[in-house]
Amino acid sequence: MKTTTPDQVEIRIPRRAEFVRVARMAACAVASQLDFTFDVVKDVELAVGEACANAVEHVPEESCNEILVKFSIDPTQLTVEVFDRGQGFDPDAAAATGDGGLDWDDPGGLGLVVIREVMDDMVVECDEAAGTCVRMVKYRSR
Amino acid sequence: MSTPLKIASRTEGENTAVLSLIGDVDVATAGRVRDSGLKLVKEGIRHLIVDLTPTEFMDSTGLGTLVGLHKRLRELEGEVTIAVLQPRVKRLFEITGLTQVFRICDDVAAALKEVRG
Repeated sequence: MKTTTPDQVEIRIPRRAEFVRVARMAACAVASQLDFTFDVVKDVELAVGEACANAVEHVPEESCNEILVKFSIDPTQLTVEVFDRGQGFDPDAAAATGDGGLDWDDPGGLGLVVIREVMDDMVVECDEAAGTCVRMVKYRSR
Repeated sequence: MSTPLKIASRTEGENTAVLSLIGDVDVATAGRVRDSGLKLVKEGIRHLIVDLTPTEFMDSTGLGTLVGLHKRLRELEGEVTIAVLQPRVKRLFEITGLTQVFRICDDVAAALKEVRG
């Protein structure tokens, strides 16, 4: 069986709010190269922005200075991984759904709710040494 | 790096104001939205119409800021009403269940009508 190596694009941004837009623009540029509709391109942009914003807002300043965004393109899907060096969080607690589970006194988990809704798959991997990775997938021509 | 958001406000009667957000409401600009909203609350505004009709992009940080302003105004027997037409921005409210929290109208004129009862 023939296997192909995914095309990859990586971008590193300072872990500061004003640079999240740069990652979003990169997401738009990469997703636009694929056979996605305009709405799907904007969904990928939104998801990448949410993952980066999460890293900016919820990672202690001293533990991480940059965010790595990695796009992997293969014939079936676009995978986006957003890495930071933070200590992670409980994704299930943070991504309680809006159907009554969301804590309105602390709406900080909204970003993961949004990502789960607009992407086809999403997992959060937390590792004390390596940091946190939000991995998101959008399938092509589904 | 400049942040692409213009904020404009105008009062409509004694205790109502319209806060128009033109551009991107995201993690980089949400703090300015919060400050502008809280300034209006301090000036006596109790019904804040947030005009998202010219908003090009919004993320959950922006949503969280609107939730915070709404909570503050509810404590003062007021509220935030949302005017939003763009399907993509409107969808964010639906995804997060915030359509159950805010009164949402298609434009500012309809929001003013709602506020004035």
